[in-house]
Amino acid sequence: MGVLMEVKNLVTRFQTQEGTIYAVNDVSYTLHEGETLGVVGESGSGKSVHALSIMGLIPMPPGKITNGEVWFQGRDLLKLSREEMRLVRGAEIAMIFQDPMTSLNPVLTVGTQITEALKLHLGMNNAQADNRAAELIDMVGIPDARKRLKNYPHQFSGGMRQRIMIAMALSCNPKLLIADEPTTALDVTIQAQIIELVKQLQKELKMAMIWITHDLGVVAGMADTIQVMYGGRIVERGPIKSVFGDPRNAYTLGLLTSLPRLDEGHNRQRLTQIEGSPPDMRVEPVGDSFAPRNPYRTERCWTETPPLRQAEGSVDGHMVAAWYDLRQARKQQQQQMEGKR
Amino acid sequence: MSAAAPKLGNPSAQNQNDVILKVRGLKKHFPINSGIVFQRQVGAVRAVDDVSFDVIRGETLGLVGESGCGKSTTGRTILQLYRPTAGTVEFEGRDLTSVKGEELRALRREMQIIFQDPFASLNPRMTVGSIVSEPLQIHNVKRGKELREYVESLLEKVGLNPFYINRYPHEFSGGQRQRIGIARALALNPKFIVCDEPISALDVSIQAQVVNLLEDLQEELGLTYLFIAHDLSMVRHICDRVAVMYLGKIVELAPTDELYDNPLHPYTQALLSAVPVPDPMVEENRQRILITGDLPSPANPPKGCNFNTRCPVRMDVCFRDPDPELIEVSPGHWVACHRVP
Ligand SMILES: Nc1ncnc2c1ncn2[C@@H]1O[C@H](COP(=O)(O)OP(=O)(O)OP(=O)(O)O)[C@@H](O)[C@H]1O
Ligand SMILES: Nc1ncnc2c1ncn2[C@@H]1O[C@H](COP(=O)(O)OP(=O)(O)OP(=O)(O)O)[C@@H](O)[C@H]1O
Ligand code: SF4
Ligand SMILES: [Mg+2]
Ligand SMILES: [Mg+2]
Repeated sequence: MGVLMEVKNLVTRFQTQEGTIYAVNDVSYTLHEGETLGVVGESGSGKSVHALSIMGLIPMPPGKITNGEVWFQGRDLLKLSREEMRLVRGAEIAMIFQDPMTSLNPVLTVGTQITEALKLHLGMNNAQADNRAAELIDMVGIPDARKRLKNYPHQFSGGMRQRIMIAMALSCNPKLLIADEPTTALDVTIQAQIIELVKQLQKELKMAMIWITHDLGVVAGMADTIQVMYGGRIVERGPIKSVFGDPRNAYTLGLLTSLPRLDEGHNRQRLTQIEGSPPDMRVEPVGDSFAPRNPYRTERCWTETPPLRQAEGSVDGHMVAAWYDLRQARKQQQQQMEGKR
Repeated sequence: MSAAAPKLGNPSAQNQNDVILKVRGLKKHFPINSGIVFQRQVGAVRAVDDVSFDVIRGETLGLVGESGCGKSTTGRTILQLYRPTAGTVEFEGRDLTSVKGEELRALRREMQIIFQDPFASLNPRMTVGSIVSEPLQIHNVKRGKELREYVESLLEKVGLNPFYINRYPHEFSGGQRQRIGIARALALNPKFIVCDEPISALDVSIQAQVVNLLEDLQEELGLTYLFIAHDLSMVRHICDRVAVMYLGKIVELAPTDELYDNPLHPYTQALLSAVPVPDPMVEENRQRILITGDLPSPANPPKGCNFNTRCPVRMDVCFRDPDPELIEVSPGHWVACHRVP
């Protein structure tokens, strides 16, 4: 598959009354056509800001992209004018958000909102747009499509609004769909419906997807590649089976082992916990920002930022940012424990 | 009609007869009013609609189900924060619904609640010390130096440095704030705590810390928990028994492993199959039971079985007969469905 997007050295900051917020710190990666990338990490780790930076949706001020390039179809999106970017958004790259009410206009009918986009981006006339809108609403599993187009957003349930958002996002056949926690506010049964729907549509439309979530289970079920963020950086990324099966960054390992699993029996073993709290984004990051919580840290972690590079002995494209060798460190730890026994 | 009251059936409880809380036929209906000058009641939200169960001393009983199914209302009505529309709640043999004033206040000391949102549930203008000591002052339990020392010991117990006693909530992270909420709940030495989604608002890397703390405290202090949650993996880890709610009613109740390994109600089956598992190998081979449609409104529940609008295996009787009763199909395993047994 060809390269669809290349993000290079993206840095985004916010100037607030409390000082500078170091939201995204030197993020680089490549996304391929048709690929599904799952982005995980804790609250405040820069997942949304990184996506909004790509989409040209960072409020400026207080925000500022101080460095970076985003290459998409031969153009650097960060260099486009506001008007040019507006045309890219919706037509080539679409985005759906956690709260559908932030992107649905409460005073316009759902039909009007979808047809506007079709007329703007695809130059359809009224009749064509109406037909296509009904098709889209039907496609996302809302019965009685034609009638429902006349309804306002508040006349739908949360899960239905989320499906309408998806219909709107897909209306112009984008090459890339960025979904920012689109199912977090929904119940698991509705989440499962929506994920099935999106997977199926993705196959039909052959688009790439960036799926932002804090739910590692969701990523495990739908992504090709996982990207773990911490403190505004990518700390690990790679094919999902490789990263889940053989994590090389201590934060990824901590996340995976602290989660109880549905398919494991009830036992009152203590959960493995990650000590401490997430980093304060108001402090300029020095070194590896996970160091204070990392039992495997080395001296170097305090002072130098580890670059993201190919993980030794793992599959191609499994990248990790760490000064320590997690495999080695865990092996030693195990030997010590056995030695004690 | 009153649902069959579950008999005691908790294989993991040491003393099978040691029921701390007995809930029978509990209902909480919220009136829906209309009219501007003359308010009249035009309907009711049946938030909790005839719920019966026991809680055994020292256990953790899980209460799960979709958003709006009545979990929080059940918890609050048990604690008499809402007065029930019907039914009884016996705490250590005394019916809370028939006591008032000083007697109720005294009983309430033994029962506490921990809320979901550690950001909203703490008064931002109070210091940590005054937040934690407020219940002690209301009940006039301790004073002066003794009070201060006691509060410090509580902070220590929940893993906070007593040094922080004069700080304000905004100076703490989410996990630390939840610890403050827990310290406050523990202040009056309660026996029973309703944990209403105590970890939902926390980062994944922090959740394990709080869950471990709750488990340690339970062991140390012999606490009994009603644990309300929608993270079914965490519920499997933490709970001894689990009750599944749907639209104001309990549809299934069983010891944890029995419920997860052998779910009998079609809703429980769909719910469990929708939970993502953080393991790409498992996800690859998983068959989901997808249910369509959204949760009906508790103001207008369907005729017949509450689940008949979404149930993949519904039959004619499910629309004709009244809602199925909760019956014990094997020791300790209760189900409300015409198809079972
Ligand atoms: N408009 C803004 N003004 C100031 N700071 C902001 C703004 N938007 C985001 N930030 C800050 O940037 C950092 C990264 O935020 P971001 O929203 O990307 O986190 P996230 O990883 O998406 O977290 P979550 O899981 O909570 O959505 C945070 O510290 C956040 O407070
Ligand atoms: N004070 C109230 N007045 C009127 N209706 C209420 C009130 N509190 C709750 N309800 C309604 O009762 C029903 C049950 O609400 P409840 O908060 O108990 O659900 P829940 O299971 O805790 O949901 P969630 O998972 O979203 O917290 C909902 O329809 C809700 O809108
Ligand atoms: S009673 Fe009927 S509709 Fe209700 S859960 Fe059972 S089979 Fe489904
Ligand atoms: Mg976000
Ligand atoms: Mg609730």
